[in-house]
Amino acid sequence: MNLLRDLLICISLAFLSFNSFSGEEHDHDMHDLMAHLLTPASEKIWESTGFVITEEGEFSLEPTDQEGWDEVIFGAQVIIESSYLLTRPERSLGRQDWIAFSNLLQPIGKRAFEAAENKDAELLFKVGADLYQACVACHNVYMTE
Amino acid sequence: MINLIYKISAIISFSILSLNISSHHAFTAEFDANAPINITGKVLKVEWINPHAWVHVEVEEKGKKTTWMVEGGTPNTLIRNGINKESIKPGTVIVVRGYQSKGKLCLPRCIANGRDVTFPDGRKVFMGSSGTGAPRDGADPRERR
Repeated sequence: MNLLRDLLICISLAFLSFNSFSGEEHDHDMHDLMAHLLTPASEKIWESTGFVITEEGEFSLEPTDQEGWDEVIFGAQVIIESSYLLTRPERSLGRQDWIAFSNLLQPIGKRAFEAAENKDAELLFKVGADLYQACVACHNVYMTE
Repeated sequence: MINLIYKISAIISFSILSLNISSHHAFTAEFDANAPINITGKVLKVEWINPHAWVHVEVEEKGKKTTWMVEGGTPNTLIRNGINKESIKPGTVIVVRGYQSKGKLCLPRCIANGRDVTFPDGRKVFMGSSGTGAPRDGADPRERR
């Protein structure tokens, strides 16, 4: 009898782990948050630094006016706030590594904010690379097609 | 017996979990692992940007010129691998191995994910990013075999 009970518990745990990672509603919610919030915010960082190099020369992509830097500040703040949104219980589902991945966004967002406030394109470029690494670390574990 | 059941259940749980973890990668969303490319051409333009550097290469075959837009890793990754803005400047003739995008119309240009680049001095360098789900083709020195 104990054997049957243990077997049922184990099978239940197996299905519970499956369902907690594959819920359709959770996937849609995450897709929307990524596609409509975090990705556009990240692009504000990535598209505001770097260079385009042609035979005519090297051209910097950094903002040339305050309005451009304000766009970066907006993106940085959204990244900081997204960290809190991602760690909400219905999204983290109690997964400690998910929470750890999400928390990576806070210091990155704060550094991006600081770089934009100081109009420091070099720092913003480094932060952009760190942001991508944080994205990839989480996507390698949790992103589904 | 109970231990055996626990082990079997643990294996089932882990297998289900593994399916979810490894079910996605950005590479497969955009590029075709069954469409390898090996192109030789002149660098027209380099976009030294996050999250991916892009190298525009003009390939001439039988008098017809085609422009390929090749995705690389982050600029930081490229620098660590020995590629910098100087080594890949416009006019340099390079050989790129990689995989074409799923869309193969090449309008207005062909798109590919770069795996390695060979410079005029014969130096061959990995130009992608590790852990993106690209095929384990030996190009990435850090990939586990």
